[in-house]
Amino acid sequence: MAECSALIEMMPLLLTESLDPAQRERTHQHIEACAECAAEWNAYRETWRVMEDLPVVEVPARVRDRFLAAAGIAAQQPAQSNVVPFVRRPAFKWIAQAAAVAVLVGGGWFAGRGTAPSFTPSDARIDSVSPIKPLSIAETRVVDANAISPEIEGRPDIANVQCSDCDASDNEISLQFDITSRWTVTGNPKEKSMVRLVSYMIENEAAITPRSSTLEMVRQAYSNPASANPEIASALAKVLRNDEHEGVRIRAVDTLTNLPPNLTLATASPTRDALIEALKSDPNPAVRLKAVEALATLAQSGGLDAQAVDTLRQKATQRDENLYVRMKAAEALRSIKP
Amino acid sequence: MKHLNDQELMRIVQSGDYSPASEIYDRYSGRIYNFAFRFLKNAEAAEDATQEVFVKMLKYANQFHGDAKLSTWLFSITANWCRDYLRKADNKPRETEEVLLSLPAPSEHGPDRALEQRENEQLVRRALQALTPEQREAILLSRYQGLSYAEIAQIAGCSEGAVKTRVFRAMETLKKTLAGDARGGDRWLNAVP
Repeated sequence: MAECSALIEMMPLLLTESLDPAQRERTHQHIEACAECAAEWNAYRETWRVMEDLPVVEVPARVRDRFLAAAGIAAQQPAQSNVVPFVRRPAFKWIAQAAAVAVLVGGGWFAGRGTAPSFTPSDARIDSVSPIKPLSIAETRVVDANAISPEIEGRPDIANVQCSDCDASDNEISLQFDITSRWTVTGNPKEKSMVRLVSYMIENEAAITPRSSTLEMVRQAYSNPASANPEIASALAKVLRNDEHEGVRIRAVDTLTNLPPNLTLATASPTRDALIEALKSDPNPAVRLKAVEALATLAQSGGLDAQAVDTLRQKATQRDENLYVRMKAAEALRSIKP
Repeated sequence: MKHLNDQELMRIVQSGDYSPASEIYDRYSGRIYNFAFRFLKNAEAAEDATQEVFVKMLKYANQFHGDAKLSTWLFSITANWCRDYLRKADNKPRETEEVLLSLPAPSEHGPDRALEQRENEQLVRRALQALTPEQREAILLSRYQGLSYAEIAQIAGCSEGAVKTRVFRAMETLKKTLAGDARGGDRWLNAVP
């Protein structure tokens, strides 16, 4: 029995042919003589065989492009620290630049509020209070020096610095720079500024993982009818149409499916159109499969129009369509009540 | 570049010339990506991992001494990246959509075999997620990358004995999970008449 137990532990090594010939021979002899170990060995082999059916996935070509682009940057910057080189995200350049304004303009004001207990009251009389202007997020900003606080919070990364003195007679100089800092914007998801910012992010964030995470947040925050917003739905439809990453497009479909049906069911709805278009022409069968599921879910929520049903019917019978997409389309059609 | 072996390519990189980068990428990106994808069950993270592993390879090329295989060193970087990724609370493996990314083209085999393959694929993916990250790492490197226990030990930073235990426990779990699922599990495609 102890021999059996030791032998079973060797079975993975037997599968990878890592045993030396003598051990292998001994093990096989035991298996032939012991019914229990033979059954165990068959189970191991079957498990090993089934594992073979996990397909090899091709690396998307964009990963190579991204790596070579990053390698170009790395080639010019010798290693100095244990940090992967930062790759500029063009779509978010505007945030980096606007961050300069946030740090410099807003920083002083917020810092002042945060340190209120140490504020020394004075006898100065307040004649008037200027309304605080909403802070807008902009790609570039031009500000006067007297409009910014002299306090610089933390040590923000500054790049592309340019200094100029356009007019020597006016006693002014000009500083231009990009600044990388982090913004945290908090607010009710229904607020217009928040809706606009979320929409912009899901359409423009360059990196895949955060783009996908934003979609997940949208799914949670905007699936409630009370916070539903057509602008968010339109942004998701754009992602579904244009995003190069199939994982992100799948997530967009999932998120669209979770939106309140009134945003997606209307005949003229851009989101419904985007789902139909994805089913018709998305190059990835997984996305088309998700689109079928989404349309089926919508159908159960209140019925689909003839165009959507026709598209499903066409997919269910299209010979050169992926087998799973066809099956799902047929299944969806059966679930639609006449 | 194609005629140079890994060590020769890395020596060029170590001299500051990154021209072999694309050749090294072409040799190993498939294995790195598939390992990360199966480990994390997340295609997006696997893309990020693949890119960052090769960037790190260039950046820290001088830390590669040539006494180990380049593949082992690259898998070490990849495994570290994946472990860090999973450590973050919001980066747990996902359940559904990534599975769909690798839908095989059904035309290669008959529909029956394609369906069986698809079922098995889902079963295996689910079973792999039932393993601990250490077990999953060990079985993925052993089963799909063909690495020896000594190499896996180097990558995982543990003894060969520990690798042997991890692979054995992983196989035990996989065997039970796959057998259980095959008997009465949820085979969704069967539900489609």
